[in-house]
Amino acid sequence: MLPLGKQLIVFDGGFGSELALRGLEGLPEELNITHPEEVRAIHRAYAAAGADVITANSFGLNRIKYKGKYAIADLARAAVENARAAGKEVFFDVGPTGALLKPFGTLSFEEAYEAYAEIARLTSDMVGGYIVETFSDLYELKACVLALKEHSDKPVYATATFDGTARTLTGSSPEIVAQLLEGLGVDALGVNCSLGPKEMAPVVDRLLAATSLPVIVQPNRGLPTLKEGKTYYDLSEEDFTAAMRAFVEKGVAVVGGCCGTTPAFIRRLAAWKGQKVPARRVEQVTAVCSSTRRTVIENVVVCGERLNPTGKKALKAALAAGDYAYLAAQALRQQDAGADLLDLNVGIPMIDEPAVMKNAVLAVQEYSELPLQIDSSDPAAIEAGVRAYNGIPLINSVNGEEDVLCRILPIAKKYGAVVLGLTMDKNGVPRTAEARAAIAARIIARAADFGIPRHRVMIDTLVLTASAEQPLVKETVKALTLVRGMGVKTALGVSNVSFGLPARPRLNQTFLTMAMEHGLNMPILDPLDEAMTGTVKAYAVLAGTDVGAQQYIAAYRDAAPAAKEAPPQEEDLYGCVRRGLKREARAAAERELAQREPLAVVNEVLVKALGEVGEGYEQGKLFLPQLIASAEAAKEAFAVVGEHLPKRAADKGTVVLATVHGDVHDIGKNIVKVVAESHEFKVADLGKDVPKEAVVEAVLRLRPLAVGLSALMTTTVKSMEETVRALRAAGCEAKIFVGGAVLNAEIARSIGADHYTANAPEFVKTLETLL
Amino acid sequence: MNSSDGACKRAALAYLGFHGTPTAEMCAMVDDALREARSVARFRAVGEVFDVPPPAFLCEPYASFLAGCSACALVAMTLGVEIDRRIRALSVCDPARAVVLDACASALVEAEGDAWEARFGAERTYRFCPGYGGSDVKDNLAIFAALRPERIGMQLLDSGLMVPQKSMAGIVGIGKRKERRCGDCMLKATCTYIKEGTRCFRSENN
Repeated sequence: MLPLGKQLIVFDGGFGSELALRGLEGLPEELNITHPEEVRAIHRAYAAAGADVITANSFGLNRIKYKGKYAIADLARAAVENARAAGKEVFFDVGPTGALLKPFGTLSFEEAYEAYAEIARLTSDMVGGYIVETFSDLYELKACVLALKEHSDKPVYATATFDGTARTLTGSSPEIVAQLLEGLGVDALGVNCSLGPKEMAPVVDRLLAATSLPVIVQPNRGLPTLKEGKTYYDLSEEDFTAAMRAFVEKGVAVVGGCCGTTPAFIRRLAAWKGQKVPARRVEQVTAVCSSTRRTVIENVVVCGERLNPTGKKALKAALAAGDYAYLAAQALRQQDAGADLLDLNVGIPMIDEPAVMKNAVLAVQEYSELPLQIDSSDPAAIEAGVRAYNGIPLINSVNGEEDVLCRILPIAKKYGAVVLGLTMDKNGVPRTAEARAAIAARIIARAADFGIPRHRVMIDTLVLTASAEQPLVKETVKALTLVRGMGVKTALGVSNVSFGLPARPRLNQTFLTMAMEHGLNMPILDPLDEAMTGTVKAYAVLAGTDVGAQQYIAAYRDAAPAAKEAPPQEEDLYGCVRRGLKREARAAAERELAQREPLAVVNEVLVKALGEVGEGYEQGKLFLPQLIASAEAAKEAFAVVGEHLPKRAADKGTVVLATVHGDVHDIGKNIVKVVAESHEFKVADLGKDVPKEAVVEAVLRLRPLAVGLSALMTTTVKSMEETVRALRAAGCEAKIFVGGAVLNAEIARSIGADHYTANAPEFVKTLETLL
Repeated sequence: MNSSDGACKRAALAYLGFHGTPTAEMCAMVDDALREARSVARFRAVGEVFDVPPPAFLCEPYASFLAGCSACALVAMTLGVEIDRRIRALSVCDPARAVVLDACASALVEAEGDAWEARFGAERTYRFCPGYGGSDVKDNLAIFAALRPERIGMQLLDSGLMVPQKSMAGIVGIGKRKERRCGDCMLKATCTYIKEGTRCFRSENN
């Protein structure tokens, strides 16, 4: 057993540079079989230099990255046997797949997970542990660590690589990486590669401050210099060692080297072996994070409540229809309004809640960077959401009932989530603050039993309505203070208090102020309700947490007294559409409806305005952004006018749109979507990188008027051709449209499409001819 | 970041299809989006100089492109995933702005790449990317094998596509100057600029 965290542990150094030194070329992993003696010589050199742990020559060994002629099992066994020849503890080296995960790339979380699960199954019996290193994507890191933890009981050490701005390539900070890895239960975590020890110092300091786990540091031999076009590492042993010494004195527990370091460097580090790792004080905070945004729950933070279908017809409909774009849009609106995290609840009757929760998490995290609160009463849905989440979420919720605690707390423990506890149990919500505090204490104690520390528990003291339970409002508020006294943060769904009473906003605002003054940290509210968020901002000034009122002033600097504002010039509906004034379009449509019949508004205003815009675009007088803005404005207006129209006699029909498999460019397809919708076609948007089977399935199910396929690259035209062929083979009756930068009418014909259209207005014009 | 706003703005307007003199409103829109692009993008690049081009680049059209050069550099560069995410978010809540930001990001990666390549000396060609002038986009494989741009967060998909979307890989000739020409472009057959007798780019030296 290594004395991890107690005494300094020394890992080995660079491997690729040592191979190059010996003139060995080709895939390093294959050298384990083709040149075992040379590989062993390097391992022995590091062992002789004093390394405690030898890292197997297996960095690129996973089924996504390695595409050579050997079996992964054989290479893995050879790598371990070679490393064992040095006579030291052997850790299997686990590197990234080299593929970008969805949504930015095409690799799924599950595929990445499977690749690492395979490695764990093959090697768990042979190795002393795993060193996961050089990861730059938090999501891939999560897939890897989860797979190792679920298929092996050996120690997992994990490091990420950061750039000079202290972020990973996908934008995660040291605090986020530390929180994710600590949450997933690694044994040690840290930083390697990309930077030299000097440049790494800020990252090391932040990791030491963010985690109580042992910290690993494996820098490169300084920053590479380019000489005659070749890369060299030339930091001296002395400078490297001096910088590493400072890390060790600050509390780093495991040291080693990465690119460019040699046995000579490791020999210097090994001189400190056995030294006691200095104790550190780490301030424990309650925090949740996405891959790029961390929200520390302190003072008052706002949790957006709009992604909860209770009482929201449009969201219910979107969930039932699988319209995740609607969820994404709601998430972004709340983000723009200043929410700090978002509640996500998908509980409607008759759906597969775990599957929908997973899809909803994927959709929301693709668009919004706010951390999520996974909200469900179904443990399977909670786990599906938490597992798919690229970050550390808040789980909403547990309560004082033992069987609920036993089902949910293990999920929170396994994934490192923060858990929100409701102060109720099988007897309901207690009437006194003291009794609620007692349930809170029980939840905190049970969480501790499951290995969840106090700072990963939050408590909701539960709001009852003032109309039905007036005397209990004060109990809820008082319980906040009691719970804060236990050292945990608090939450409340604020607006419940006013249910059943008139002028609810007044009650809500006043209650919010009372609650914040008694220790509320996280009101769950509608971030688009300016009165409520304004109350939070104002309170921060008066409570002294918004120092110098800076944030308040930034938010309200431009707020002029309403009376002094000049009445804005009102644009008519035709002008709104022509000029692309989306925000004004609704009101303009209402005014127009006061003057004409709904059908006249459509035919004499909207259709005409869109016609003028489309013509202007084709003549080169108007440009793409204007075309899109006009379409957006028209869509808003149609929504208003549509409510006044009798059930449309003739639905114009459905259009299925997709960017074909292998292509991730979707901006052109998205423009077509907006413009088609503005002309009242129903659009089923299948997204990008869509397999032909999915297109066929949608077409058979929806029986659309037309299918629109988009491809940007010459290479993906082939995939488009295959999709067309698959559609024909399946008996697709819809007209097939194709478009994209590299297409023209000739290519369209040659791949069997019915129509090529060069731009969105042409697409719609051609569609109209099919009616 | 080192590239000039003027060059980026001209290119972004061209990508958006603006011909002639843009209106003040368009200029403001592009200026604003360019500002956002610069704040969100994280330009990263890798490159390596070769005295003799790697085998994949010894054939045409690379041989003609590199004729007269003393060496060449393979380069790969990206703005990272953050700007992809931002464009995607805007495509949901403000599609018009998404299109403008997309164009600005395309212009920015070109301009940043040009500025970054100054390290190869003033006597150099423009960046010739696989796919231009009859070359095969699959030659990106050779660039990825040589440079391993995965370490700056780039990936080459099986389709030949690179992700993040605002990424480029190419070859720069060293030892002589060479400007961009429409004849090398993969879109020359359908380009509306060529039909009008104009072009979408403005080379650095005029």
